[in-house]
Amino acid sequence: MTQEKTIAFFPEASYGAALNCVGIAQQLRSMGSRPVFICHPGFSDVFAEYGFPEYHLSDEALGGKTDWNEFINRHQDAFKQSPYAQLESYVRPTWDAIVETALAVEQPLRQLLNRLKPDAIVLDNVVMFPAIANAGVPWVRIVSCAETEIPDANVPPYLSGLSAEKSADWDAFMHEYAHVTAPAHKRFSAMMTECGLKPPPAPLFLGPSPHLNLLLAPDIIRYDRRKPLDPARFVYLNGCVRQEGEYQPPVFAAHNDGPLVLTSFGSLGAMDVSLVKQMIDVFAGLPYRFLVNVGQWRDEYTAVPDNVFVDGWFPQSSVVEKASLFIHHGGNNSFCEALYFGVPSLVMPYCWDGHDNARRAAETGVGRSLPRYDWQPADLAGAIEGLLGDTGMQQRLKANALQMQAHAGAHLAAEKILQVAKAKPDQAAARKTTSRRGGETNA
Amino acid sequence: MKQGIEGETGMLKEPKKANRRHVELAQKILEAANERAMTEGERLAEQAIANICNVSRTPVRKAFQVLAERGILLRDADGSYRFAIDPVKAVRLDDSSDATPEDDVRAAILRDLAAARISDTQTVASLQRRYGVTRLAVQNSLMKLSEENLAERGAGQQWLLKQFTVNADSGAKSYEFRLAMEPLALTMPDFKRDTTAILSLRQSMLALRAMDETNFDRRLFQRTDMDFHILIAKCCGNPFVAEALISHHTRRFALPTNVHPGTFRLMQSNTEHIQILEQIERGQMTLAADLMRVHIQLSQAVRPRLAGRGVPPSLKMTTR
Repeated sequence: MTQEKTIAFFPEASYGAALNCVGIAQQLRSMGSRPVFICHPGFSDVFAEYGFPEYHLSDEALGGKTDWNEFINRHQDAFKQSPYAQLESYVRPTWDAIVETALAVEQPLRQLLNRLKPDAIVLDNVVMFPAIANAGVPWVRIVSCAETEIPDANVPPYLSGLSAEKSADWDAFMHEYAHVTAPAHKRFSAMMTECGLKPPPAPLFLGPSPHLNLLLAPDIIRYDRRKPLDPARFVYLNGCVRQEGEYQPPVFAAHNDGPLVLTSFGSLGAMDVSLVKQMIDVFAGLPYRFLVNVGQWRDEYTAVPDNVFVDGWFPQSSVVEKASLFIHHGGNNSFCEALYFGVPSLVMPYCWDGHDNARRAAETGVGRSLPRYDWQPADLAGAIEGLLGDTGMQQRLKANALQMQAHAGAHLAAEKILQVAKAKPDQAAARKTTSRRGGETNA
Repeated sequence: MKQGIEGETGMLKEPKKANRRHVELAQKILEAANERAMTEGERLAEQAIANICNVSRTPVRKAFQVLAERGILLRDADGSYRFAIDPVKAVRLDDSSDATPEDDVRAAILRDLAAARISDTQTVASLQRRYGVTRLAVQNSLMKLSEENLAERGAGQQWLLKQFTVNADSGAKSYEFRLAMEPLALTMPDFKRDTTAILSLRQSMLALRAMDETNFDRRLFQRTDMDFHILIAKCCGNPFVAEALISHHTRRFALPTNVHPGTFRLMQSNTEHIQILEQIERGQMTLAADLMRVHIQLSQAVRPRLAGRGVPPSLKMTTR
């Protein structure tokens, strides 16, 4: 009898990464493995809801309370800026916070991995944790951000939202990105070196795994790389969607037979209640049904139009499956789910790789982008009507969805992870390999 | 904009519906069949069923037709009926059939209140304008909501709709109420086990337990979930506790919900139901109450409120 393999998932504390890992873990469980989840502080119970054991990292090292209002106000302003301006106002402090978290969890993570003794570790994050590289077992990297996270001469800079057509803006953005991330990278490099590991070159915070790297990037939006990724270590999943229960849309008081449109900007994006209310005003005049994810601010909404339903949570993948259009922030998980079910995207980005996906959606003809703040009601209404009326795009997306579903990315990922786990080298060999390859940037 | 009950998009238009009394009788027949441990393929004797349900044969025949239309019974060439499926696997029959205008208005009011489309203060005239129905239909709907403790008369012409039953916090408050009341119901001194009902419910739950995540029947679970919690309320032996709990369960299963548990959680929940029933059957009521506390606490949806790259962990507090 094959010994049950314990696979430790360590996704970052965002819904996109977390739910992407859930999809793969469901497949591993069906194959007889034992997936477990290592949770960042404050991100618990998400995995238990899907029946997976959770192991929590202590949050004692992460300091006191943060001022909620200050955090929201600061980022509300940043989200109104261009990707370039956000480098200073959002990307720099975010990398600072990410590295701070990586430093804080290093010791508890090392202790936890020592006790767990997994057969493989799956890291879905944007930063490396030395405890993982030094755990003595193979580790797998999941790139659940946009494909721009893995640099290439033909791929526009990460987080820039720039076109695939090379321009001087690429260099300007890369230069400024390197500048704003330098302090965080310095601290990160010191941590890696202290732990006996070679840090990836600036401005990278995470190099490829020497064992296996899984990219969500669906074929339909992939870039034509100058240096193709090594297929022995880089596997494109062509999407990766978890199993959710069936979703029954609520009854609407108007246009109940109209096409269904889901709007979700993630928990961070929902914080701008005023913006979402402006959008709802536009929705009220359109002959469609709108589901709007308003996060924890549901009670802020009164006099909701008859063709709109607001809620604090939706089982997203099940809803997207029934939707005719998905308005989102360009989070990679949302974008991939839309493609997986053949649904056009209207991307209204506000940060991180949402800018890259907004540009890519328009460039590859799988949707449109609209600036999150710079629009008139007619622009938003026109974009929605245009996408819902674009039968050519819809047919192309449906055909692509069939291919993606047949590719079964979550199943493929699980198979590849198991192969890696079964080929577990002894601890010393793994450590040596990981340390030696720590500085690689790509294939 | 006036929202007629038929709606500009025909929102409440449905195909010809079965008579409500026949649907109710069909549900009763299903319950009787489960109590008698009837199985797939077993014939239903019209007269025997009429005797059990204390009605004449004519409505029984109509109820059989309702069950056949839903794929639960098969009609043979000789006109007799037999079970097409094991009745323990039958979901609850939709009782919205043959709805009166009052029922439609009542449902629309609750739906719109839950969706924050209407405010909690209304008048008969304002509702009449919104739904395009007669004054009498609105009045009757409000009276029914009042009987269900979902609305009450306000000052002057106003009616106050009880938003606490449907707002964002209602789920958390419901769990709080149940956590106090359901274990209490199990430990009431006059708790009386309905062994027949428990046995039949267990059969349905065991059928669910045999399913996996890919084929789990969520609608069957909804039926067993409701039957399980109402059974405990009915058996508790204290009419005040029973009334409070049955009223609460009836309301929570009928109202729109903002909780979307995953299939795995429903499977776990089913197992917890079985464990509680087993302890009730053994007469271990304190243990059953303890398991109920665990069950309710595990059922509370807990999710991070704010999550994303760089979000300080202390902001990712959870809600219940």
